This record gives sequence, C-alpha cells and structure tokens, in this order.
Amino acid sequence: MSAAELALQQEVQTLYSDHHGWLYGWLRKRLGNAFDAADLAHDTYVRVLASGQAPQPDDSRRYLTQIAKGLAIDLYRRRQIEAAYLETIAVLASAEAPSEETRAMVVEALVELDALLHRLPAKARQALLLCKLDGLSYREIAQQLKVSVSSVEKYIASALRICIEARNGLLG
Amino acid sequence: MSAIHPFDEARPLDRAVAREAAEWLVQLHEGATAADVAACDRWRAADPEHERAWQRAQRVNAKFRVVPPGVGMPALGREVRMDRRAALKALTVLLVAGPAAGYLAYRETPWREWISGERTATGERRSLVLADGTHVDLNTATAIDVAFSATERRLILNAGEILVETGPDAHNPSASYRPFVVQTRQGRIRALGTRFVVRQESDEPATRVAVLESAVEITPAAAPQDQRVIPAGQQARFTATRIGMPEPADAHVADWSHGVLFADRMRLADFAAELSRYRTGLLRCDPAVADLRITGAFQLDNTDSILAALPDTLPVHVAYRTRYWVSIVAQEGVSR
Repeated sequence: MSAAELALQQEVQTLYSDHHGWLYGWLRKRLGNAFDAADLAHDTYVRVLASGQAPQPDDSRRYLTQIAKGLAIDLYRRRQIEAAYLETIAVLASAEAPSEETRAMVVEALVELDALLHRLPAKARQALLLCKLDGLSYREIAQQLKVSVSSVEKYIASALRICIEARNGLLG
Repeated sequence: MSAIHPFDEARPLDRAVAREAAEWLVQLHEGATAADVAACDRWRAADPEHERAWQRAQRVNAKFRVVPPGVGMPALGREVRMDRRAALKALTVLLVAGPAAGYLAYRETPWREWISGERTATGERRSLVLADGTHVDLNTATAIDVAFSATERRLILNAGEILVETGPDAHNPSASYRPFVVQTRQGRIRALGTRFVVRQESDEPATRVAVLESAVEITPAAAPQDQRVIPAGQQARFTATRIGMPEPADAHVADWSHGVLFADRMRLADFAAELSRYRTGLLRCDPAVADLRITGAFQLDNTDSILAALPDTLPVHVAYRTRYWVSIVAQEGVSR
C-alpha cells in the first residue's frame, strides 16, 4: 500500500468516526427508512474511498451529503427501472417468467445502460435504443424519427462515442 | 490528495479514438463488406488505444444484448431529468407506497421497502421471501401488509390465511434482535423462532393460529394481560377479548400451501365452505346433504373438477345455475 493510500484510509477513518452517525440520521430523516439509510451511508464512504479523495475537514458534511444525494438518485432510478422491467415481464405466464438470476442480470444491465445513456441528447439516445433494443434498421429508425438515414448514423455514432468515452462505464 | 486509478481500463480514451471506434461500429452494423471488416481490423491493429476503444465498444454492445427484446424500451425509453431535491422526496414516496402490489416478479423478490402490501385473488396462492429471510405463503383471498422497522418485524394480516416460517434476520441493520409479530384485528401473535399458520376468519371476528414448530405468544387486542404461549402441535382460536382452549393442531392445516385440501370424513357442508374460499361466486350446499361425509386429498387448482367428481362418490348432483352460482343438492331432488 502506498503512502498516499494509507493517508487516504486514515482520513476516511476519521471522516467515518466523526460523521457517520450524523449522515445516517440525515439520510434516515429524508428517506424515512432505516435500511436504505444504513445502506446509503455505507455506500457513501465506499464512494469516498474509491474516489481517492477526502474532503477538507470543514467541508466534510457538505461533501458527504452531496455524494449521498447522488446515491439516493441512483437508488431511485434503479427502483424505477426495476419496476418498469417487472411490469413488463409481469404479463408473461409464470412458466415463461425469467428466473431470479436472469432478472437480476437484466436489471443490472438496464441500470448500467441507464447511467451511460442519461447524458445523451434525446435524439441520439432514442436512435441508439431503437437500434440496439428494438433491433430496427437505420432506415426504420429514420422513418420513426422523421430524419434522414445519414442523420441516424450520426446520432448513433455520437451516442456510441459517448458510451465508449464514459470513464466509469462498463468496466466489467 | 491523490487520485488512485486501480484499473488501467479506467484511463480516459482520447475523444478522436472513441469517435473512430463509434464510426466503425456504425459502418459495420449494416451491409458491411469483407473489405470493410478488413479495414476495421487494420484500424484496430494500428494502435493499442484503437483496440482498447474497440473492446469498450464491444462491452457496450454486450450490455445491450443482455436485455431481452421488448423489455428495454419501457425501462429506458423515457428521458428522465430530475433535480436532486425532488429525487430525495420521490424516493421517500416510492418507499412508503411500495411497488405496485401484485407484480408476478415480486413474488420471490426480497423485500426492501419498509412497508408494502401483498394480496392474492380468490383461488390464487403465492409465496414470498421477506428481507429477513422469512418465508410467507399466502392462501386464497389473502391481504397482508409488511412493516419492518428498526425494532420490529411486523406483518399485518388483513384477510385470509398465511403460513409463516420466520427467518434469521441476519442482515438486520440495527444489530439488535427484532421480534417477529403477526397482527390481526383480534390481536398480536409473536413468533418465537418458528413455523405457524394464521387465519383471519371471514364470517366471525376471530383468528386461528396453528403452530407447527417451536412456539408463538398470543396477545388479544382488548385483553393484553391474557398472553398465552401456544407450543408446537397445538392450535387456538382467539378473539379481541379472549383466547380459546388450545387443542391438538390439525395435521393438514398447512396442506393448502402445497395446493391440497385434505378431508377426512369431513361434513359435506364444511367441505363446500372450505372449497368456496378458493372459488369466486356462490357455492351452496343443500341442508339435505350437508351431513354426508367426504374423504380424500383434493387439488385446489381446479375446484371445478373437484365438484364435477362429487357425484362419483356421493349421492349428490352439482347444479350450475351460472358458472358463479353452484349448488350441491341431493340426487333424487333433480329427477325430472
């Protein structure tokens, strides 16, 4: 372990003992439930460790709540996506319903894709989804979006470029 | 402060390289010739950074392939812009309201919401696993609410019947023991690490508890001093004011969780009443045949065929006025 990593661990440890109780209480008051508050408080510190940066001491709580809010949004989006997905497969007969493992895998992929795609411009996002999820040809997408085929190619190329560039995207 | 990047993978890609990779993907997606593929291969081989961009692109494609047809658009198709404070509020609402009850897929999904409702339709049965590892089977026409807090795991039985097998609660965030309680209109049943059946009777204001393993403790709502522990192998009925004498538990009390109704010389009227729990509409038993006895193990998934088979073993006729109005009558009563 390098000196920098050691120093960071030390800083995060202090950050934990000084503010974890407070952060948990803050989250709990806003989320109205203890499970998610405990999870998100924990994840917040994991995120600080992974970021490789500890905040200035007088900025600690603002920094922690900023991360925690981001995580709460992620959780909310995940539940929305999960709900939309479950609603879609709820119409399947139980024999065709995907296994729990498959469901978990699909939800995971959807959440990752959502994180990648949310920053795309609307048209580029729509074109990419129609291509990759619905399997439409460029010509069909062009008809649906009422643009030319070469515009569709441009949209998809720019969407893919942003996905490829995304630093945190799809490391697995 | 230092930035640590444990994965070389995470290194940012040059924007121009990412754009080239994206353009190759678009070009090869439709109607690519052998020459196109060869040209792309040459581009990939020309620079390790090209290859790295290409591999990332492949991972993006692979993610899309995990998503089955028809599933992704409803989940991702909407563009969502959300301001941060609204998200925190929305999260709270989502948690309190829970997901729309009755999703097929939620049947085995562990519970994360702190309170949520589940119900079964008439004739439907369902199994759930709660966040603490507890297994709950819901019998026909049953409605429950699950309310887990830091100090208690509470299940509210509003109607119907449940079989509970309490879980270890291993991931309890508060780290102290949280009692497991089933609440009915008549009172509370505290589980002492156990398996038991609770039925909210529909015609009378009473709850019936049958204990299969370990023990439970009953507290009537209006007489909390009259607590009573019911051990395994016993069952008891209670109202809001008193607990009936415990008696040996019916050996078949949880058969419904396997979709079976067991009858051992059961009065036909009682059998019809039991069967009607699993059917929509009216199932009437004529007093003239009410005391006939019936024996057997019946599959609850098809109550129509149970009814159709009755005349084979008993001197009865099953008269359908409509699909939802059925009478079991004496055979001579229908002779024309």
